[in-house]
Amino acid sequence: MKKFFALLKVSVKSMLLSSTNSRGKSRKKAATGAGAILLIAFLGLYLSGLYSSMLMQVLAPIHMEVLVFIFMGMGALVGGLLFTAFAVKGVVFGGKDNDLLLSMPVSTTALMASRVAAIYLENLLFSLFVLAPAGAVCAFMTQSGVGRSLLFWVRLLVAVVALPLLDTALSVLLGALVAFLSARVTRGALGQNIVMGIYMAAVFWFAFNLNGMIQGLAENAAGVKESLSWAAPMLWMADGILGDWGRLLAFTACCIVPFALVVFGLGKVYRQAVTGFAARSARNDYKLSAQAASGQKKALLVKEARRFFGTPMYLWNAGIGLIMLVGMGVAAIVMQGKLDEFLAMAGGALPVMPIAAAVMGFCLCTCVIAAPSISLEGKYLWILREAPVGEQPLLWIKTGFELLLTVPCTVIAGVCLTIALRLSIGDAAVLLLAALLFCVIHAAFGVLMGLTFPKLDAVNETVVVKQSLAVTLGMFVPMAALGVCALLYWLGGLIAPAAALALPLVLLAAFAAASALILAKKGPAMLRAL
Amino acid sequence: MLRIEHYSKTYPGGKKAVDDLSLHVRPGEIYGFIGHNGAGKTTTLRAVAGVMDFTEGVITIDGHDIKKDPVGAKRVTAFLPDNPDLYEFMKGIDYLNFIADLYDIPAEQRTKDIAKYGDAFELTGNLGSPVGSYSHGMRQKLALISAFIRRPKLLILDEPFVGLDPSASHLMKGYLAELCQNGSAVFFSTHVLEVAEKLCHQIAIIKDGRLIRSGPTEDLVGDSSLEDVFLELEGEK
Repeated sequence: MKKFFALLKVSVKSMLLSSTNSRGKSRKKAATGAGAILLIAFLGLYLSGLYSSMLMQVLAPIHMEVLVFIFMGMGALVGGLLFTAFAVKGVVFGGKDNDLLLSMPVSTTALMASRVAAIYLENLLFSLFVLAPAGAVCAFMTQSGVGRSLLFWVRLLVAVVALPLLDTALSVLLGALVAFLSARVTRGALGQNIVMGIYMAAVFWFAFNLNGMIQGLAENAAGVKESLSWAAPMLWMADGILGDWGRLLAFTACCIVPFALVVFGLGKVYRQAVTGFAARSARNDYKLSAQAASGQKKALLVKEARRFFGTPMYLWNAGIGLIMLVGMGVAAIVMQGKLDEFLAMAGGALPVMPIAAAVMGFCLCTCVIAAPSISLEGKYLWILREAPVGEQPLLWIKTGFELLLTVPCTVIAGVCLTIALRLSIGDAAVLLLAALLFCVIHAAFGVLMGLTFPKLDAVNETVVVKQSLAVTLGMFVPMAALGVCALLYWLGGLIAPAAALALPLVLLAAFAAASALILAKKGPAMLRAL
Repeated sequence: MLRIEHYSKTYPGGKKAVDDLSLHVRPGEIYGFIGHNGAGKTTTLRAVAGVMDFTEGVITIDGHDIKKDPVGAKRVTAFLPDNPDLYEFMKGIDYLNFIADLYDIPAEQRTKDIAKYGDAFELTGNLGSPVGSYSHGMRQKLALISAFIRRPKLLILDEPFVGLDPSASHLMKGYLAELCQNGSAVFFSTHVLEVAEKLCHQIAIIKDGRLIRSGPTEDLVGDSSLEDVFLELEGEK
């Protein structure tokens, strides 16, 4: 066990804390670990807090609280999968220290288990941040008082600990599939992108269906529960939390057995799996033809594009907001009838254009393309440093690459929303101006965060793209700016309608200008100092 | 070609890695830089290549001060670290074109040079594969090709023979000589003293960050061998 815990410590450190620049200060390292936990906490609490209270309002009066835990259990499972499935390829199978650790007198099962345990701990956090708020909501919003007993919290704790085992088993299997495809398919990135595309489509399908189910809950909660028989473990978990110890035991077994099978099954063939997944031999059939030349800036931009589109982890984490942005715009036009109905129900009282701007801003916040781009240079930074290119152009290329992707998507979404919401030309102009300013903020501030909190020695891209403090801040600080804009809109509205629009625009313009100015003035020196 | 004057490098925490180093590499020269592990060789090479900042001294390459005109200095330089990490998401040919674009190498010249060095190092057939699928030696060869196609005035190599097979090492020595015949200079570090003795016109020995001996190879070695001289200077003989 001593060896196992030593290995586990290494795995967890490589996932969270040691992923900062080794030359960084310890405070920054701790902050990066905190950043990863903050991100998981935010996603978990947001998902759970919003949906739990929404559901409980509808379900508590008809004593169907069980459905809250079914849906939250599903949310934790899918959210955890989303967060860790793509990390498995790097953490479990693609560790840089594979050769070192496999050569040591440690059983492969212990090595595999230590790495899987690191994934489990991450899922455990997600499970905790999703199920605990649901329990709290249950304690405060039910009349039966079911959530106010100590035993309820003991049963909830069992569920919180057991659920991530199932999540981890599924993550490891999906990660193994991704790793296998990367090794076998000639265009490895394409194979991974296809798997991730299918996975994301399934997640969106699930989310839309969940919304549909919630809408129909008030009328037929019992029927909805019946229809969820395909998710039996989640039913058992929910019944178990609410008092059925037998079902809780069945659920726990349902989580432990697959986890044990995956750990011991894959542990037996871990060496073969790691070797097989890493085996990509270079082809020897290339015929050299006349090469074309292009300029420095184009070469650097193409390099950023190759990294973005050729690194599935980066593409799907940072690009999902782009899909949401365009998808939202297109959906608004396609479902214009429903949108009109909803707006009519609100009685025309909603500030439609500012809401549209806020939603666009939220989608843009998730497009963290520039923020991890400095850390992703990592061990390759020497190439740019020895190249005859100044630091300034390098930083603008990184900023520009994000803008190259976000600006067209923003314009498409803005035009679609203008048509779907029948905005006036003035409102459309304000919407587009605000969204485009936000694009500049997000990109420039992202690069600044990348320079301030670099992680040049990260063990893989997953750590940089999903868990770095630069990414967390690059996402949440602009999100907080959106909140301030909403506040200014409300305050401005107290003065004059024009002030309500002008104040947020002034804030966005000032934020964009400040980010760009600091990047231009301080950025080169910061890059040089890395 | 390369002039290092009173160069010192102190790391945060106060450790002086290199102390008051001065040396001069002339055009057409192969200059060997030898010393123990941690003597300050890589620190010096990285500073010369403009990869690492330094606080004291002046380094000029072909008249360009690496601090005041880094882009100008780098335009005539190629640097290869001891363990070159190359973009794994690129194919070999994409990496070579990326480097060629950064150095504004015309299309015709790069095609000719890629063919020349790719064929010589037996890597042309692999250039269509991602760098991630290359072995260590193949990456080393790709990095070398990317350096040679720049036709640099100063080639800086950190332990270039590590990871290369004997025929690739032999080829590389030939190309280094060819480069110098065309007026360029090579400044490299190595632990392989036999190679340094045979290949280099000038040799500098560094110990604990200080230059303890430098000069033409024949003057330095005399009737002895470089290994004997080195061990004697290091106080190990």
